[in-house]
Amino acid sequence: MKKSQLLWPAAAFCVLILNGCAMQPVQAWEKGKLAQPAMKFDQDPMRKAFLEHVYASKEGASGGSGVAGGGCGCN
Amino acid sequence: MAQAWTDCHIPFKAMASTCELRLLAPDAAQGQAWAELAIAEVRRIEQKYSRYRPDSVVSGINAAAGGAAVECDEETLALLNYANSVYLLSEGRFDISSGVLRRAWDFKAKQLPEPELLQSLCALVDWRRVERDGRSVRLPQAGMELDFGGFGKEYAADRAAAVLHAAGARHGFVNLGGDLHALGPQADGSPWLIAIQDPRRPEALAAEIELCSGGLATSGDYERFFELDGQRFCHLLNARTGWPVQHWRSVSVAAPLCIAAGSCSSIAMLAEDEGLQHLQGSGLRYLAIDAEGKHHHA
Amino acid sequence: MVATEKKSVTPAGSSLLAAALLLPGLMHLAQAESPPEQSELSFKFLSYQDSQPGLERIKVSSPSLGLVTRLGDHWSVSAQATHDAISGASPRYHSAISSASQMHDERNAYELGATRYFERASLSLGVNGSKEHDYRSQGLSLEGKLASEDNNSTWSLAISHSDDTINPVNLVVVDAKKRTTSWMLGLTQVWTSRDVLQLNLGYTTGSGYFSDPYKIVDNRPDSRDQRTLYLAWNHYVDAAQAALRTSYRYYNDSWGIKAHTLNLEWAQKLAPALSLTPSLRYTTQSAASFYYNPTYDPVLGAPFPVGYSFGNGQILSPDQRLSAFGAITLGLKADWQFNKDMSFNLALDRYQQRASWRFGGGGSPGLADFNALMIQTGLDWKF
Repeated sequence: MKKSQLLWPAAAFCVLILNGCAMQPVQAWEKGKLAQPAMKFDQDPMRKAFLEHVYASKEGASGGSGVAGGGCGCN
Repeated sequence: MAQAWTDCHIPFKAMASTCELRLLAPDAAQGQAWAELAIAEVRRIEQKYSRYRPDSVVSGINAAAGGAAVECDEETLALLNYANSVYLLSEGRFDISSGVLRRAWDFKAKQLPEPELLQSLCALVDWRRVERDGRSVRLPQAGMELDFGGFGKEYAADRAAAVLHAAGARHGFVNLGGDLHALGPQADGSPWLIAIQDPRRPEALAAEIELCSGGLATSGDYERFFELDGQRFCHLLNARTGWPVQHWRSVSVAAPLCIAAGSCSSIAMLAEDEGLQHLQGSGLRYLAIDAEGKHHHA
Repeated sequence: MVATEKKSVTPAGSSLLAAALLLPGLMHLAQAESPPEQSELSFKFLSYQDSQPGLERIKVSSPSLGLVTRLGDHWSVSAQATHDAISGASPRYHSAISSASQMHDERNAYELGATRYFERASLSLGVNGSKEHDYRSQGLSLEGKLASEDNNSTWSLAISHSDDTINPVNLVVVDAKKRTTSWMLGLTQVWTSRDVLQLNLGYTTGSGYFSDPYKIVDNRPDSRDQRTLYLAWNHYVDAAQAALRTSYRYYNDSWGIKAHTLNLEWAQKLAPALSLTPSLRYTTQSAASFYYNPTYDPVLGAPFPVGYSFGNGQILSPDQRLSAFGAITLGLKADWQFNKDMSFNLALDRYQQRASWRFGGGGSPGLADFNALMIQTGLDWKF
C-alpha cells in the first residue's frame, strides 16, 4: 500500500478523534488561558507568513496551515 | 457605525443599599423605560425573599419551622438548589441556615455574645438537616431559619441584567450596593472602571477593576462590624463556631454571573487562610485584601 | 498514573457557574457576545540572508505594513503591503558557485480582505497580488468558518486561485503562465481549558510553467498536485506560565516529493510585559522524481546529466530545493508589551539545510550545505 494512500484514512481518523473525544465540553468561562496571545494559532501572522514564504521558496514542500500567499519567482 | 448613546444614571434604594443603574440607551425615554423594568425586578426579588418582610417566601418557610413542609415555586426551588451547591463547594462553610446566629451578635451594642446563647444557636445551624424533596422545603426544628441574604443582592443584580438584556439593553451595568452586573462596555468599547472601596477608609479606593461584561461582587468585613480592644468582629460568621472570620478585609471576584462571583468571594472570606487557594482554583479574576492590607490578585 | 500537574483543590469557579446557570433566565446572559475588537496596525521589517560555503547567496530586505480594522458590527477589513528588495546570486545548477547568476530585483505585494461576521460564522473574501521585474501574480481567495454552539469547534473551508505570469530576463520563455487552485478544510478544536488542537487538510492543483528559467537544464512537469495534512497542538503550562506549541505537517505531491515537518515553540512569559519564545523546526524531504544528482555526462560535462540529449524534452531539474535533505531552524523571539496598545517584537532564526540530515539517510549527494539567517523586528499598535 503506497504511503500516500494512508493519508486520507489517517486524516479521517484524526478528525474523528478530535471531534468525538473531547472529554467534557469546555465552558466559556474556562477559556481564559486559551485566549492568551501565546495560545493562539495566529499570534503573529506576519511572522508566520514570512517564514512560510521562505520555506516554500527554499524547500520542495509548502503549505499546510492555510496562509494564503501570493506567488513569487523566488530563487 | 457609531451610535449616539444617551448616558442614563438612575440611582435608587433597594435591599438596604444605595443602588444605581448606568445605561447607554438610544434616548432618555428608552433609558427610563429600561430602568423601570430593572428596578421592578429588583423590588420583586426583595419582596419575595427578604427575611425582614413577613409576607416573603423566606418568612413563610421560617414561620413553618418545626411544622409542615412549605411548597415552593420554581424560582425558590432553584435558589435552594443553588444554596446546596454552594454549601457543598464551600465544604460546609457557606450555610444559608446560619442566619439565626445574628441573634447572638448585636453590632449596635458592641458586645461579645453570651456563650450559652451562641451554643444553642449553633445547634440550629445545619443545612444538611433542611428537608427538600424537589417540590417543597421543611425546617425540621422550630427556631431554625433560612436566610437568602448571602446571595440575594447578587441574584437580583443578575436578574435585573437579564431583564435589561431581554429588553435590548447592551451597554451599561446594574449596581446594587457594590454587587454589579455589566451588560456591555462603554460606547467606545472600553470597560467600565469599577471602584473597590478601601476596607478601612470608606472615602478611599483600594483599586479600580475593569469590567466589560459579567458580574463583580465584593465581600468585606466593613459592611457590618464592631471593634473591641483593637479586634474587628464582622457580620461574616463561621457557621460551625458562630464566630466572625478574620483573615481577609475584603475579597472581590469577577465572574460571568454576579451570584457566582459573590459566592466565590464569600467562600474565600469564610475559608480564611485557605481562601487564596479557593480563589486561585476558581480560575476567576479576584482581588483579596488581607488583614494587613496587602493586596493579592489574579 | 500519577498526575504530575498539581490539580486545583476546589474547582469552585466552573462548578459555581454551572450551578448558577441553572437559575431562571441567567443562561442567555452568561453567554452574551464579547466586546468589540480593536483595530490593529502592524509594521514589520524582515532581513534575510542565505549562503553556502564560499558564497553569500540571496539577500532580502522586506518592510511590511498591515492593517486590520472593524467596520460596524458585522464587518472587518484588512490590508497588507510588502516591499522586498532582493539581491544576490543563486547557483544555476546544484551548488555551482562559479556559475551563479547575480540579480537585483524588487518585489511589491499586497493583500486585501473583507470579512462578514455572522452569529457563529464568518465569510472572508481576499485578493492578493505581487509584481516583480520578471514575475506577476494575482490571486483570489474565499474562506468560510463555522463554529459549534459551544464555540469549542470551528470548521473552516477555504478555496483560493492564483494566476502567475513569468517573463524571465533571459527570455528563455516569454509570458509563461501558471495557474493554481487550492482547497483547505480545517478544524480547530478546544480540547481542555489548557489545550487547543488544529487539523488542516489541503489539496492544491496547479498547471502551467513550473520550471526555473534561470537554471540550466531545468525542465519540470507542466502540472503539480500537492496534498498536506497538518496537525497542531497548543498547550498551556500553568506552572511555567508558558505555552507549548507543537505542529506536524505531512506533505506529498505528484513530483514525488514527500516531506515531514515538525515545529516546536515554547512561549515563556518572563515578566507581565515580556515573553521569550525559543523555537525548533525540523523538516525532512525526499527528492523530486526528476531531480538528478551532480554526476555529469562524461562527454557533455556539467551541468548535463549522464545520457542527456538536447531537444528531447526530458523532465529534469538540478535544483537543490528539489533534492533530498533535512533542515533545522533554531529560532528565538522576544515580545515586549510596552502598554495596553503597543507591542514590539524581535526574532532571530537560523536555518541550516543538509543532505546528511535527511531522516533515515539517503540525502542527495554532492550538494553544498545551505544556510540562512533571518532577523525580524516588528511593532504592533492597537487602537
